[in-house]
Amino acid sequence: MEREPVSGGVGILAEIAWRFAALSLVAIGGINAILPEIHRTVVDVEHWITSAQFAELFALAQVAPGPNAMVVALIGWKVAGVAGALVATVAVCGPSSVLCYLALRGWHRLRDSPARGIVQRALAPVAIGLVFASGYTLAQGADRTLIAAAMTAIAAAAIAFTRINPVWVLGAAALAGVAGYT
Amino acid sequence: MSTAVDEPGVDTPGLAGVTRGELLRAALKVGLLGFGGVMPLARRVFVDECRWLTDREFAQLIGISQVLPGPNVVNLAVIIGSRAQGVPGALVTLTGILFVPVMLLVVLATFYASVAQTGVVQGALAAGSAAGAGLILGTATRLLVHTRPPLRGLATGASAFVAIGILQWPLLLVLPALIALAIAWEWSASR
Repeated sequence: MEREPVSGGVGILAEIAWRFAALSLVAIGGINAILPEIHRTVVDVEHWITSAQFAELFALAQVAPGPNAMVVALIGWKVAGVAGALVATVAVCGPSSVLCYLALRGWHRLRDSPARGIVQRALAPVAIGLVFASGYTLAQGADRTLIAAAMTAIAAAAIAFTRINPVWVLGAAALAGVAGYT
Repeated sequence: MSTAVDEPGVDTPGLAGVTRGELLRAALKVGLLGFGGVMPLARRVFVDECRWLTDREFAQLIGISQVLPGPNVVNLAVIIGSRAQGVPGALVTLTGILFVPVMLLVVLATFYASVAQTGVVQGALAAGSAAGAGLILGTATRLLVHTRPPLRGLATGASAFVAIGILQWPLLLVLPALIALAIAWEWSASR
């Protein structure tokens, strides 16, 4: 990140807005599902950042507190400063949030319909399968050593079978990492 | 529909009467302490601590969040906030889970370049991302154990994991097909 963020003109902000608003509406399955498409857009098509910068921003958004979708804010920041971060965040979350709100209202009207119960019972296990898939994908990237793999396993067991707060688990792991155990 | 009684559905009675202040406090906690992804802490706060949702309701809301386009946790925030307090509730929850962490992250990123290459930071990041992956796997296990899906649910859930996680097939093709299959299966089982 040697380059200072360029200050945003209205043109570049508008470009960020429409690029990410379009991505917002195809992000079925969440941000991780459209990461390749984001990469293609900002690195290959727009040349806003390099592939290495993309990886670095992604790692930073992963470990920082908050949703993984924040990687989009970081890209906006890199391209057009604080205004770029805000525009990118609103663009990537706004359209999908409005759609979600409207869909939920329609869904609520169906509350007495048996179809609703069927859809909900059908979706829940698929959703759990997708959560497993994203944990697995992240573990593949993160577990480069045996100690890291053990940390993944211990953290998973702690969350699955005890009532420990996840913040403590991450804090303990980070401390171990600082001490050199990775 | 054989089990209307023990299926609370997504009407989420626990969210009725939750105030904007309570929404903001819970959302800030999830947003600002959710290192390495927000889902594990969201389950912890909304299900265990606030008791606004059961594990089953949480899994169902996550299902809806994943089917609709947009970041899952952002959709979850919209659903929880608007269920409790309408559009203002959704904005309050989004502020806590998304906008405050984004502002913090921008500040953090500004300083990141100067510490990025130190061994301490690299070690903490490596260990944190390994544990973070574990938190998500653990949350998935917990949801699985607490919702106890029937055999057909285990089959569709396992298919989703294998297709997306292991085989890395394109989600936009796999998910609609899998959802159609799951709904058809559930529908034929309910007759």
